[in-house]
This record gives sequence, structure tokens and C-alpha cells, in this order.
Amino acid sequence: MDFQLSDDHRMLQDSLRGVLARHSGDGLAPALAELGIPEALLTEAEGGFDGSGAAVALIFEELGRAGAPSTPVAAMIGAAALAQAGHDAAVLAFADAEPGTRHDRGVAMRAEGECLTGRKTMVIGAEGAQGFLVTTADALWRVDRDAEGVEFRPYPLMDDQPGGDLILCDAPATRLGALSGHDGVLARAVLAHAAYGLGVITAAFDLTLDYLRQRKQFGQPLIAFQALAHRMADLAVEVEQARSAVVNLSGHLDAEPALRDRHLQACKVTVGRAARLLAEESVQLHGGIGMTEEYALGGIIRRLIAADTAMGDADYHLERFALAEPAFA
Amino acid sequence: MDMSFTPEETAFRDEIRAFLKAELDPALARKVRLHHDLTKAEMEGWHAKLQSRGWLAGNWPKEFGGAGWTAIQRHIFEEESARAHAPRIVPFGIAMLGPVLQKFGSKEQQDHWLPRILNGDDWWCQGYSEPGAGSDLAGLRCEARRDGDHYVVNGQKTWTTLGQHANMIFCLVRTSTEGKKQEGISFLLIDMETPGVTVRPIVLLDGAAEVNEVWFDNVRVPAANLVGTENEGWTYAKYLLTHERTNIAGVGFATAALDNLKRVARAQIHRGKPLSEDPAFAADMASVEIELMAMSTTNLRMLSAAAQGQAPGIESSMLKIKGTQIRQRLDALTRRAYGGQAMALPQGGNEGPEDADEALAATATWLNNRKLSIYGGSNEIQRSIIAGAMAKG
Ligand SMILES: Cc1cc2nc3c(=O)[nH]c(=O)nc-3n(C[C@H](O)[C@H](O)[C@H](O)COP(=O)(O)OP(=O)(O)OC[C@H]3O[C@@H](n4cnc5c(N)ncnc54)[C@H](O)[C@@H]3O)c2cc1C
Repeated sequence: MDFQLSDDHRMLQDSLRGVLARHSGDGLAPALAELGIPEALLTEAEGGFDGSGAAVALIFEELGRAGAPSTPVAAMIGAAALAQAGHDAAVLAFADAEPGTRHDRGVAMRAEGECLTGRKTMVIGAEGAQGFLVTTADALWRVDRDAEGVEFRPYPLMDDQPGGDLILCDAPATRLGALSGHDGVLARAVLAHAAYGLGVITAAFDLTLDYLRQRKQFGQPLIAFQALAHRMADLAVEVEQARSAVVNLSGHLDAEPALRDRHLQACKVTVGRAARLLAEESVQLHGGIGMTEEYALGGIIRRLIAADTAMGDADYHLERFALAEPAFA
Repeated sequence: MDMSFTPEETAFRDEIRAFLKAELDPALARKVRLHHDLTKAEMEGWHAKLQSRGWLAGNWPKEFGGAGWTAIQRHIFEEESARAHAPRIVPFGIAMLGPVLQKFGSKEQQDHWLPRILNGDDWWCQGYSEPGAGSDLAGLRCEARRDGDHYVVNGQKTWTTLGQHANMIFCLVRTSTEGKKQEGISFLLIDMETPGVTVRPIVLLDGAAEVNEVWFDNVRVPAANLVGTENEGWTYAKYLLTHERTNIAGVGFATAALDNLKRVARAQIHRGKPLSEDPAFAADMASVEIELMAMSTTNLRMLSAAAQGQAPGIESSMLKIKGTQIRQRLDALTRRAYGGQAMALPQGGNEGPEDADEALAATATWLNNRKLSIYGGSNEIQRSIIAGAMAKG
């Protein structure tokens, strides 16, 4: 067994850490592009140069830990799905969640011939996208942004990424194939979100521990109170569990679909639950300051919740695991 | 044992229900249900309606203009109000300061301030916490120095809920640094329009504008605004906290949240059927409901013991812990019921994209209600109180 990163991946990690330390906001995306991050997320067949589970996991964990947006995942899914269907790459925002349902697809968005009608909500990464990657009950579609019958109502998502509602009215769409035909692409996107979540979890843990060491009440640092120290110990255990779950998925990303999906579901459940727990506990352990927008924890909490919610939350994947159903049928 | 309400209590409940039905504007109730920030006018309007029936201060004795309700009547009122999504009565004047003035205030203070609380002339806020004094409240440093017939106040308060609407703040201030740190604290009433008072809003995670920082820079406060005796403020503060902790279980709020969760679960489609019919989700909802059933009775048992003259001890700490856990679990389930739809927040603490309102409110409520287990003595502090009492035996 060897859980170490390869030399190439270690170098990638080092340069990525450097970029993330130097850039944020608008400057980040070009800096990531210059480093070749989008291509590192794709296989050669998809027009990239890596696309392995290990690469995806390490990149997204760093993004999550640094507080960067997870938007590159949208570009990654779009490009890979297009490549698989034999189309040229383009930046597409992934439009999956539907209003009125927790996880069902095809309730609010339906296909008739080569046209789509209905609504998608909480579309991630729409800003700057040329179009949308839209799911229906069992298929994946491409819809161009300026096609007829396409309306987009933008609003920020809770983790501050640009998002919005997509409303299609008999909009022309290109069928890229059955959803199950793209399950490998979607599995990689799930890994990306889980690894991103792991990074945010780690950031929440580190910040909370730091705070408990510094903050004094009753003449002592908070970490000196055993009730709090034990809770930090429990959280440390859950962080390791989440890390192992991400390792499991990245190591099984190319396994046969049934085995891969078991790890995928287990990973999203473990990370999602750890994210929820860290969100609750890190606010509580911080006290009032943890609930404020201006303190660093605020953004972390919302990113934790978003990382659980995106691409199927812990509930969704737990159910699929229990019933041994494919992740994206 | 008799678990039923008396005919009088049932009639009282009917009266409250009829009032809420007639007087509560559905648009306002919707705002409350969706956890949107209310305007000052909306809160004051609701206070005025209650006061016109003599119901604003259910906890005050009749001699001070209150309703003089029993603990059970108050419980019924709070439960019905919460279930109808009526605005919460802003607690600082009615539930906190009122009882302190009635017990420790001078006749002049009672005659001046109590009617003004009832008729809405003053809006009070609570100046206890400071950046360095949270759980360890007695570590507070905001100082008041006597200067002739005034106190001169310097320092900072924080987490002042709804302080942006307030014209008056009751503060714990340090008047002495001798002896134990609990001993040099006084209870002072400060007019926020006095020169030297600055209020700065603090934005919370969900965008809500409900808490503030308050600074005092050489603020001159008439010595007549000292409640009780100098350096005895800690006693009054503790008395106030026992009042802050009434209705601590929040049974009404939990019941309203459970009603809402069931409504959401019936409307959400999951695997082609209502989510409420999904066995796993239904089991999760049932397990919180079962907890609520027991807590609701724990609450009534304690109210009934209090009515028979037994002083509440660690029970209120138990209710605080269980009550907040139940509400936070309900909030988490409501958010989870929305799955992928719960990725955004209402903009600026208020309305978001028109028809996604409900899902957005679920996420915002979840974030905002993390406060329940932090303020008014955190759940860890409540556990220490329970454990301390057990250790003494
Ligand atoms: C939304 C909101 C509204 C508020 N409104 C008001 C208001 O109107 N007026 C006002 O005066 N105050 C108000 N407060 C302040 C509130 O009472 C304090 O936040 C609370 O007392 C906790 O203090 P702290 O935030 O400084 O946390 P800290 O005291 O720093 O505590 C941080 C964490 O450590 C734990 N902890 C601390 N000491 C111990 C110990 N000895 N053993 C075990 N655990 C411990 C706490 O439980 C918490 O989990 C409000 C707070 C919030 C969040």
C-alpha cells in the first residue's frame, strides 16, 4: 500500500498552493488556467492531460481549503461530457436540481423531441458559461445560452458563487446521450465536490482549533475546558474519516461502475455528514463570533453546507447505497 | 394526576385563537414563517394590537398594567402565537427589564419607565455581553465612573439584538474593580440618544440585520438611572436571566417548525411520491416529533411545579438544551427536505427569487438558529449548571 502522492502530483500541489496563496477573486481563474488546472481535471481523451482520481482530489481539496470557489467543477463536467459525445469543448454550467423535488429529475424539466421545457434551479457556475448541461429523467443535454426559449435568472448561491434559475420554453437542445453513459464524468464531478468539501472541513477544523487556543474565558483558553477539548477530538476523528472516504473514491474512480458507485455514495455520505457536523460544531464552539459574516468562519460554514448539497447530498447517496442503485441512473 | 387543561384554560385558548385569526395579517404571518427581518413598524404594530387587549405583558402583574396571567396561560398564549406565526414579542422591555424594575426599581423608575414600555414610547435593548465577556459575563469591563449626579460611561457592548431600533439600553457596567469580579457591577439605564453612543450593525451568516455593537465614549448618564444599589447589579442581572429563561423550551416555536416541516414534506416530490411518504424521511420526522411530545410534557410538569410554588432549578437548563436541540434538528430536516434547492439565501436577509422563497428561507433559518444554543447562556454553560448541581448532590 502506498498513499503518498506521485512526484508529479506533489509538484502540482506545491504550485497550486502557491497560486492560491497569491491570488483570489477575479485574478484566480486566469492564474489557475495558466497552471493548467482545467486540463489536469480532464483525461487525454477529453482534451486534458490527467483526469485521474488523485489529481482531481488533490486539486479540489486545495481549492476548498483555500476558500476558493468550486466553480471549475462546472467547466470540468461540461467539457468532459461534450468530449465524450464527440463535441468540441465549451464551458457549460451544470443544471441539475429542480424545484419542487429533493432529488428527482424530470419532474420540472421534460424533453419533447429535441426541445426542452421546464425549470432548473440553483444552477452552479453560470457566469461566463456558453451554455448549460441539462439533465432530464435519464438523459444529458446541451442548451446554448442564446438559443430561443432560454431564460436565465441569476442570483448568488449561498457560497457566493454565481448561480441562478434556468427556465426553458420549448428550447432547442442537443442530446449528448443517456445519463448512465456519462456516469464516469459525473462520478469525477462528485469526487471533485467531495474533495472540495474535505478541504473546507479541514479549514473549519483548523480555524476552530486555533480559536479555542486563543480565546480566553474564565481566565483560561477555551481548549483547556475538557468538554470542548473532547469535542475537538471527536471532530478530528470525523475529519480523518472524511479523508479516507475521499481516498477510497479517488482510488476507485475507474473501477467497474457498481463498485465505483458504492465508493462514490459512501464518500458523499461520509463527507456530507462530516460537513454538516463541522458546520454545526464550529459555530457552536466559536460562540457568537462564529455566526458573523465578517469573521472567516462565516463563508466556510456556507461552503460546507453547499459542498454537502451539490451533486446529491448525504441523504440522496445514503438511500442509493442502501438500495444498491446506480449513483446517476 | 390530571393532564387536561381546565375549562377556563381551554376557553382562554379559544379566545387567543380567535384574536389571532381576526387580528394577525396573513402577509405579516408569512414573513414570520419565512424568517424574514420584520420592520420596526411591524413589530411595534403588533405590540400595539396586543396592548389594546391588555395582552402585551402577560407576565406582569395587573398593578403594573400587565395581564397577570398564570404560567399556564402564558404558555398557552406563546404556543398559539407561535403556531399562528405571530411576531414574537420583543423581549427586552416586557420580559426582561419590566420584572427587574418591578422588583428592584424605585417608585419613580417604575412610574416613569413601565408605562412607556407598554405604550411603545421606549424600545429597549440588552447591553450585557462584551467582546471579552461572553460566557464569562462577570469579566465585563465597560466602566461607569461617578461624577456628581451623573455616571460617565466608557466601553463597548456587543451582540445587542435589535439595538438599531432602540432608544434605550439597560447595561451592566463596572463601577468597582475591588473584590470579586461579580461584586463591582451595576445596572444602569442609558438613553441611546445621549452624545457619545455609537451603534454599528453586525451582519450574520444568513444576512440578517439583528445584532449590533454599541460604543460608549464619555456618555453622561443621570445617576437617577441606576437601578437598585451601586455594585449590586449582578444580583439583578441574575434575576433578569431567570426571566430571560422563561418560555425557554420554545414548545410553540418547535410545534410551528414541525407543522411547517410536515407541510414541506407533503409538497416535495421524492421518487415520484410526496417526501412525507418516504420511510427514511418520515422516520426522521417522527423521531423529532416524539422528542417534542416528551419535552412538551416536561415543560408543563415544570410550569405546574412552579405554579405550586417550587422554584425552578436546573430544570430550566434542561429545557434550554432540549428545546434548542429539537428546534435545530427540525431546521436541519426542513433544509434537507429541499435537497438541491437549498443552495442559495434570501438576498440581504429578506426576500429572494420569488418562487424559491421557501427553500431559501429553510437554509437561512437553519443558519440563523445556530444562535439558539449560543445565546442566553450557551448549552455548554447549561450543562455545567446541571452537572454542578448534581455534583453538589
Ligand atoms: C444572535 C445573538 C444575539 C445575542 N443577543 C444578545 C443581546 O441582545 N444582548 C447581550 O448582552 N448579549 C447577546 N448575545 C450574546 C450571547 O449571550 C453570547 O454570545 C453568549 O453568552 C456566548 O458568549 P460568546 O459568544 O462570547 O462565546 P464564548 O463565551 O467565547 O464561548 C465560545 C464557546 O465556548 C464555550 N464555553 C465557554 N466557556 C466554557 C466553559 N467554561 N466550559 C465549557 N464550554 C465553555 C461556549 O459554550 C461556546 O460554545 C447574543 C448572541 C447572539 C449569537
